[in-house]
Amino acid sequence: MGQLEHQFEENVLTTRIDWLLNWARLNSIWPMTFGLACCAIEMMAVGAAHHDIDRFGAGAFRASPRQADLMIVAGTVNFKMGERVKRLYDQMPSPKYVIAMGACATGGGPYFKFGYTVMKGVDRCVPVDVYIAGCPPRPEALLEGLMKLQEKIRRSSVVRKPARTA
Amino acid sequence: MRTAMAAEQHGSMTLEKEARVLPSGEKEFFLDVHTQDMEVNFGPQHPATHGVMRILIRADGEIVTGAQPHLGYLHRCAEKIGESVEWLQYLPYTDRYDYLSAMNNNLGYSMAVEALMPGLEIPRRSHMIRTICAELNRIGSHLIAFGTYGLDIGAFTPFFYAFREREWIMSLFEKICGARLTYSFIRIGGVFNDAPPGWLQEIERFCDVFEEKWKEYVDLLVLNQIFVKRTANVGVIPKEMALDFGLTGPMLRGSGVDFDLRRDMPYSLYGEMVKQGVFDVVLGRGEKGTVGDCWDRTYCRVYEMIECIKIVRWCLDNIAPGPVLGDVPKVLRIPPGEAYVGIENPRGELGHYVVSDGGKIAVRVRVRGPSFTNVAILEEILPGALIADAIAIIGSTDVVIGETDR
Amino acid sequence: MNFEGIHDRLRVIRVPGLLGADLPRPPIPGEKHGKDKDPGRSGDPFVLVDPQRIVEFLHVCRDEDRLRFEVLVDLTATDPKAEDPNLWIGMNLLSIERRQRLAIKALLPKSELRMPSSTSIYRAAQWHERECAEMFGITFIGHPDPRHILLPDDWVGFPLRKDYVFPKEYHGISCE
Repeated sequence: MGQLEHQFEENVLTTRIDWLLNWARLNSIWPMTFGLACCAIEMMAVGAAHHDIDRFGAGAFRASPRQADLMIVAGTVNFKMGERVKRLYDQMPSPKYVIAMGACATGGGPYFKFGYTVMKGVDRCVPVDVYIAGCPPRPEALLEGLMKLQEKIRRSSVVRKPARTA
Repeated sequence: MRTAMAAEQHGSMTLEKEARVLPSGEKEFFLDVHTQDMEVNFGPQHPATHGVMRILIRADGEIVTGAQPHLGYLHRCAEKIGESVEWLQYLPYTDRYDYLSAMNNNLGYSMAVEALMPGLEIPRRSHMIRTICAELNRIGSHLIAFGTYGLDIGAFTPFFYAFREREWIMSLFEKICGARLTYSFIRIGGVFNDAPPGWLQEIERFCDVFEEKWKEYVDLLVLNQIFVKRTANVGVIPKEMALDFGLTGPMLRGSGVDFDLRRDMPYSLYGEMVKQGVFDVVLGRGEKGTVGDCWDRTYCRVYEMIECIKIVRWCLDNIAPGPVLGDVPKVLRIPPGEAYVGIENPRGELGHYVVSDGGKIAVRVRVRGPSFTNVAILEEILPGALIADAIAIIGSTDVVIGETDR
Repeated sequence: MNFEGIHDRLRVIRVPGLLGADLPRPPIPGEKHGKDKDPGRSGDPFVLVDPQRIVEFLHVCRDEDRLRFEVLVDLTATDPKAEDPNLWIGMNLLSIERRQRLAIKALLPKSELRMPSSTSIYRAAQWHERECAEMFGITFIGHPDPRHILLPDDWVGFPLRKDYVFPKEYHGISCE
């Protein structure tokens, strides 16, 4: 057994609902296997042993959008793919998050000027939570993006606000 | 649909005319079952398509009866960009079509442009560094092919093994050019800069370690009985079909055609190596099944890695100090003309057809990606296979979508 | 066999559709300092072929005993200039048996962009021709599957033509 054994007496913990739910959510963000282009290779590198995204609870890459919380758009999105990205996003259950990884997903990247089929940023078809710069971003950058997303989740709230009387 | 039935279960049924005797002595019967043809969309988001390829599969029960690959989900207009930006500015775009072997793409494009510059002399040291980088990149690319092929057919561990060595290659490239994946390092007239101190010694260490680790791959996956059962006799491409479809690289050599551009139409320093017999060309021989099956293609890739190590070692033995970049002006004006240069990429022949009218901007940059032609064969070999085997067949083509769509 | 040998062989056996050959030549310096009178041509030699007889030509190239070009490596087109009356069709053949290459070029007038499909000779041509058709607007007569391959099915225009105007929007998504 672990270090926690025999450390605590039988006890009750009090906390806020928001804190508990956010804590659970941000430590088990399951991404969807959704590699588009070059960035997907760095995303795979993040999943592999050296960088190990599992340390942050986001290592369970799901093949189906219906089981995923996070879509990492890793690569260039063109118009033909954009429709599919939208459909995949719609299939994900809420709460859902999107990371635009790399320059192409952020704003067209190197294909901005002459890429006639390239969508200039995935935020033209789905809402994006975190943008990561780089072409492709280093694995550490993706991990930082993930942590930024965790910060964002930590600040979110699910409780019903009391109605204002004015 | 015809389903195989065990003799004991349906012994009473009158199906004798359809009987077939199995090697074990048991009798197998076929039963006509009414099924509906089903069309399954395989991709564009699917873990086994290695990107965003979509294959429309028509299936009769478990058997594929038709397959229609759909491309274009990653079309990034590389050829239009080629004729819109300056010669040297296009170099970063070459990284991005086959992103697993960016060094080889840089090399192909640089060599095509150099073919239009008759007076340009490329220093020998830069040839050496080019070859080292290209071969290391080939190892890195085959490692991904090997690792993800394991993933495709259900073995998770090879992926981690492959990425362990790949990370080292990435860090070696990072030391010489600063990037992990998209290098733009090999450029027109030579390479961007010289190797940093200690770099060549580290490669020597890498070679030693890799040769040891490589044996693990063979034991772990290639000779693994489950893997052999999944891939042997599956997706057989006969020699004639391979030639007709214009396959190149390990796909062609897996079918037993003895052809490698590095040996048969040598470029750069490969001519010298061929004379000295530095490396061999690995061919599929049908050791576990038929010549040209999925196992043979994997075998070619995995054993090619060790040939790459031999080439790298030869370069390390022969490298001498000197300049690394030829006399290339800042603003390139390429003499008018047209050239096609094909080099051996990890996936096959990467051809660049460049046309110049004497200006700063190309008239045409055509990229002939090996994956593009290699994928076309799926239309032909998928029908008749089981759906589970279809994954094995698609994985064995080692397709990179960035290159099919460009 | 080098290029001259292949070209001689093609002439000797009177291949249908062969129009000539083009070899690289050095530049001829002019009188003015730094200006060439003739810029010359660098790169590869190629044979010029009549595009309407390409199928017969390729058939001979593949089956003739001393040529044996079994593989069609590349098939593409080039739009040299917006005002140029022709498109160039470029092909590249490879003989694995004889270790040789042959570059083929055919001029196709832009006013009539139709040529026979080479799919019956090389299956590899099928996808290359589909790409060529959608990028340049060439109709390959007798092609078994003339759909778009890289672009969406409802794409307007031929992107690799020099006079192509970039789209402003696609399905309501702005391109700028």
